[in-house]
Amino acid sequence: MRDDTGEGVARRAVARYALVKLGGALLSIGLVIVATFFLFRLIPGDPTIAYTRDVPVTPEQLALLRRQMGLDRPLGAQFLDFVGRTLRLDLGTSYEYRRPVAGLIGERVGPTLLLVGTGLAVAVGLGMWQGTRAAWHHGGRFDRLSTGTALTLWSVPTFWLGLLLLMVLAAGIGPIPGLFPTRGMQDVDAPDGPLYLLHVAHHLVLPCLTLVAVVYAQYLLVMRSSLLDEIGQDYVTTARAKGLRDDAVRRRHAVPNALLPTVTLVFMQIGFVVGGAVSVEFVYSWPGLGLLFVEAIRGPDYAVMQGTFMLVCVAVIVMNTLADVVYHVLDPRVRSA
Amino acid sequence: MARAGARLAAMSLALSMATLLVAHTSPSAARTSQGTAARAPRTEKSIVRLGATQSMDSMNPFLAVRVVSTSIHRWMYGYLTVPDSKTLKPSPDLTESWETSPDKLTWTFTMRAGATWSDGRPVTAQDAAWTFNKIMTDDGAKTANGPAVENFDTVTAPDDRTLVITTKKPQASMLELPIPIMPKHVWESVPDIGTYQNETYPAVGSGPYIAVEHRKNGYVRLKANPSYWRGAPGIDELHVIFYENPEAAIAGLKKGDIDWIGRLAGPQFGALTGDPNITQWNTQGRRAGYLQFNPGAATAGGEPIGDGHPALKDVRVRRAIHHAIDKKTLVEQVQNGLAVPADGSIIPPMYQEFFWKAEGDKAVTFDLEEANRILDEAGYAKGADGIRTMPDGGRKLEMRFSIHTDEPVEDKLAQFLTGWLKEIGIQLTTRRLDSNKFTEETGSTALYDIAISGWSVNPDPEEVLATHLCSRRPTASGQGGGTESFFCDKEFERLYQAQLAELDRAARVKLIKQMQERLYTEAPVVALYYPNNLEGYRKDRIASITPIPEDNGILYGGSGYWPVYSLRAVERAATPAGSGSGIGTAVAVAAAVVLVLGAGIILLRRRRASADDRE
Repeated sequence: MRDDTGEGVARRAVARYALVKLGGALLSIGLVIVATFFLFRLIPGDPTIAYTRDVPVTPEQLALLRRQMGLDRPLGAQFLDFVGRTLRLDLGTSYEYRRPVAGLIGERVGPTLLLVGTGLAVAVGLGMWQGTRAAWHHGGRFDRLSTGTALTLWSVPTFWLGLLLLMVLAAGIGPIPGLFPTRGMQDVDAPDGPLYLLHVAHHLVLPCLTLVAVVYAQYLLVMRSSLLDEIGQDYVTTARAKGLRDDAVRRRHAVPNALLPTVTLVFMQIGFVVGGAVSVEFVYSWPGLGLLFVEAIRGPDYAVMQGTFMLVCVAVIVMNTLADVVYHVLDPRVRSA
Repeated sequence: MARAGARLAAMSLALSMATLLVAHTSPSAARTSQGTAARAPRTEKSIVRLGATQSMDSMNPFLAVRVVSTSIHRWMYGYLTVPDSKTLKPSPDLTESWETSPDKLTWTFTMRAGATWSDGRPVTAQDAAWTFNKIMTDDGAKTANGPAVENFDTVTAPDDRTLVITTKKPQASMLELPIPIMPKHVWESVPDIGTYQNETYPAVGSGPYIAVEHRKNGYVRLKANPSYWRGAPGIDELHVIFYENPEAAIAGLKKGDIDWIGRLAGPQFGALTGDPNITQWNTQGRRAGYLQFNPGAATAGGEPIGDGHPALKDVRVRRAIHHAIDKKTLVEQVQNGLAVPADGSIIPPMYQEFFWKAEGDKAVTFDLEEANRILDEAGYAKGADGIRTMPDGGRKLEMRFSIHTDEPVEDKLAQFLTGWLKEIGIQLTTRRLDSNKFTEETGSTALYDIAISGWSVNPDPEEVLATHLCSRRPTASGQGGGTESFFCDKEFERLYQAQLAELDRAARVKLIKQMQERLYTEAPVVALYYPNNLEGYRKDRIASITPIPEDNGILYGGSGYWPVYSLRAVERAATPAGSGSGIGTAVAVAAAVVLVLGAGIILLRRRRASADDRE
């Protein structure tokens, strides 16, 4: 009985905690909206001039453009208008594409999620596995080799690594034939049905490989260090003393406890990885959000920049909040604290 | 791997696959039933694949401004006229002939008999009249080409073959309108042109190619138009494939993922050297690179603005600087020899007819002594430090040189200029600006002394000349009007108005040459070089292609449709060689299988590993 009430109290505590976190997240998102507006007003120069560079326009057209963009209104009115529209998920109209930004972003979310999702899955799996092994035999050859490799890859510029892989594995170099496509998510004559999945998977290999190479180190290191912490704990010694197989000690006792920080990190990183995919998408012309952002900067296309910027900020905030709550649920020590 | 990790990975993979399916079934795929049904085996079709380092901004010609979009629209739709493939002079396209009234204000075009839309309907004067009237009356439709019809008064179609355009003032550039004629019967029901995407396929057009598929940020697939009035092009399909990253596009060309790519920068072009399958196309270009001086900037109303160095108001100083530039060295060192030193003004020699060349004693040569002599005579005395001062003994001739942050080539240029100007007693410091700031400071606020600039010129040079008119200077409230120099010169204005009204081509050419001479001698801008047009294509894919102009011109990005219309593909055997996509897929699948198997075996072995494995 007492257990039940204890359970209930704990559940309420978690709910309260989640509510507080949610409030904080909403506040942060509000701040992001405000900051976005002023940040993009700080950019020097008249956006209409920036837009119409190298395109002949008449003064009347410029005036019309300013009117369409609401630039002729006082800043206060522009701000209220911006906030109101953003809350209704209306992110304005792209100047380059002459289309609502929300629609443009919607088109690009899929490819980015595919790239980042697959990349994260592989990176997390690889990082955890190598981190576990490295920690279990820490100081050994595998530890030194895997940690060294991961750190090296982590410090390499994404753009450079991507280009290198593209040159070697996509274009082919010397006797090595080009095995992978040089661009995009699909070719003109993409097959239909299940073969289409294979076709896209073929295109996905290199961008995904690049993304994994530069991000998996963090998962390896966190897993390694948290497992090292666990190895020294009494319960591991006890488990070993009971005569359990080494493998069982690792998988049943040490690893589950060491997973906590890693899972949190995974959640926290999701938002950032979306942003981090920019270079990869650019190198491989992958039709995702990162590419949209690069194009918007080049335009410049302020509405698109604002939209993608806010989206990434919101993604980071949401994932951080989720990470907090999940950690809270998973780790009884945090709960009681 | 830890079990939780495995679960997580599985979940993420499932999520990825779900995303993929969603992406595949999303409407952006825009696949028409015809598009899929008409897919014959590749080997029967001759296809040429062009790489472009931009993607489409819009499939709607009323809105599109990017080079890739306007090029594709030139292949999809007919215009009133098209530049002649040899001389670039206007020649008939959807019109057969035209005449002007004695007062030069009324143009009467006779539309081509027998031209049809790709849906079988005839192309009539009604279509042309609807297109122009739409741009004249609908703000949304003005987006891409509003200025081109600004001087139009009325456009009418008295009958199906006759189009009458009346203008407010004479308009010599009437035969160079950058406006595709759109099918009225398809477009008149569009509620709002300004937001219309035009993503219905196959598109209805009257040009040599029909767009049948567009995957945003992926490609545009065009098919030969069998009912094109000149006759169908010589290839079955033309694919335009978008690469965001030029390096990847070069890799794609070398590998054979694409057959042709244009508008290359020097280093990319260099990367193609020595490839036996690739033809490097290096011809004269349509661009001029120039310096712009701050000649005492003012608003359109004449109010002085900015903080330009007062010495630059003196035309003698600007000429002296011109004498201090060794254009040949710049071409060799800064442009890697892939440009022509400018011996004229802002219209490059590719446009033979309009190009003005400085000759005899008009030509400003590289001559530091002469530059020093001019400045000495003008009273700019050198101080002990070798830097000159204003004639009134006040300010030193210390100037800023504004360049873009992301252009290493401009950095190199700045080093050379700084060295030469030092020789004539002018101290130059480089300012690197991001492109927004650069545009603002050199186009509206005039916070510069000397800046780098450039312009790509169209067959009719009116547009580039107009960037040096008084009216192009910014308004009092600081809104720019597109000036390239803050130049405001009575003689230049007079010549501009005169050429606008001059319908006799030879006389107009003369006026335009005089304008260039004026720019050359007054020196608000000094042309440095004309960068070459650099392209590459695969000999094993493209049998022949005719540039525009025919003798030594451009393949991609010029005006008109001649190069893509003249394309002939190499006859190919039954198995596509070189693409390697089939082989590549097979290899990739095999690799994946090996990986999965390998991982499985390792996992199994590790499960069986016993405690004595421990180190």
